[in-house]
Amino acid sequence: MSVGIAMFLFTLAGAYQWGEFTEPGYVPLIGASLFVVTIGLLVWWRQDISFDGSYEPKSTGAPFQNIDIRKVAMWVFLMSEMMVFTSLFSTYIRYRLGIESCQEVFESGNWVEGSSVTCFEPASHLIASSWFHLAPGAINTFALIVSSFTVVQALRYAKMVDIDDTVRKRKVTRYLGATWVLAIIFLTLKMVEWFVGFPLPDFMHEYNHGDSSIKSLYTEGYLINADSYQHHAYDTHYIETHEGYELSEDSALYAMMQAGTHPGGHMMANIQVSATTFYVTTGTHGAHVFGGIIGLTYMTFKASRGGYTPDNAVSIEYFGLYWHFVDLVWVLVFPFFYLY
Amino acid sequence: MAHYKIMGQDPYWMNFFGLILLTVIEVAAVGVDLGKTMTLFILTVIAIPKFLMIAAIFMHLYGDEDSAILTITALFPAFFIIIMILFVGLTHPEAASGLPDWCRPGNYGL
Repeated sequence: MSVGIAMFLFTLAGAYQWGEFTEPGYVPLIGASLFVVTIGLLVWWRQDISFDGSYEPKSTGAPFQNIDIRKVAMWVFLMSEMMVFTSLFSTYIRYRLGIESCQEVFESGNWVEGSSVTCFEPASHLIASSWFHLAPGAINTFALIVSSFTVVQALRYAKMVDIDDTVRKRKVTRYLGATWVLAIIFLTLKMVEWFVGFPLPDFMHEYNHGDSSIKSLYTEGYLINADSYQHHAYDTHYIETHEGYELSEDSALYAMMQAGTHPGGHMMANIQVSATTFYVTTGTHGAHVFGGIIGLTYMTFKASRGGYTPDNAVSIEYFGLYWHFVDLVWVLVFPFFYLY
Repeated sequence: MAHYKIMGQDPYWMNFFGLILLTVIEVAAVGVDLGKTMTLFILTVIAIPKFLMIAAIFMHLYGDEDSAILTITALFPAFFIIIMILFVGLTHPEAASGLPDWCRPGNYGL
């Protein structure tokens, strides 16, 4: 399965570059890689579906004596995952601190209309600009927290020895199913935020700067290949004519415009680095959520057949560790990529 | 599974309500204009307990018989994380401005 996933990533990167399919020749290889992953999953599930907990191997070596080998393996796996996300976070911190922010460049006046400047534009400038923009990310945060809770509840009922098998089956299936639904909601809202956007009812327009809809990041032009990105907050004409926006009187740009040495206009920015750090980090997290959905699909199916008992409930616990880790990463991604 | 109580209540429910409450405060802090530095401070101060609450209670790093050794295992990458965040993310003398041309915006052969 690992080979299949590696093949998929390499071939997808070969075929899809800078927002376009550039090498259609890779498509059969992408199909082949997905086939390998599917076969790997089916073999895995075929072995697991009959697992009743009768043989759960224990670790014998120090320092993990008598701990389930699968549990230790899951923790080691999660630590390697933590390194992946740490490298993404340190990249983000370095670029965010090292590249002047677009707001600072705009207010410095060191730009001319029609010529692009390189600066860091955090996605939060768009996302945290109104409650409506923030809604998908905020709902997703609550969805993940609730889903962490539902996984724990599924484990609790799977481990209960003093309840009827039918009740256990129903409870475990419902809680795992609820987790699946919440994960689907998470990815759906992610797609809405990235690609779709959503309309607002008439009475809400005034709370959204008069706009009738919330645009997606894609529509706003917040893209990894955006070398001439424009935001209305960096347009002196827009600022002058819209309430809620004003150019700081302490800024160099204000002084230059007052003195007639800067004509103002609409600043154009190269935001490829900032958009890339945002999409790679949140996209990697989204890929983990997708992986969780695949696992949950199988586990909910197994639970619906009464497959979980107190003897093999640890399987839910090990999946839960992964799922809580996904929640844990989001706890850091949300404030630092979406809010700040 | 947890064999303890938090303030006499089920730990998972308490943890769940705590996380929800902290997230509400987090989102509200962004809605109220407190300035960039104060907002960052609040977000960081809230993210840390949320992180610990999920790891300790939902991931059973507190209260189980094997919690101690698994906590040590979980902390093992902390050394590398500190190196990455402090020495790469924060303190590189030239940060992003000192990167080679091929690693900077506008040099992708487009």
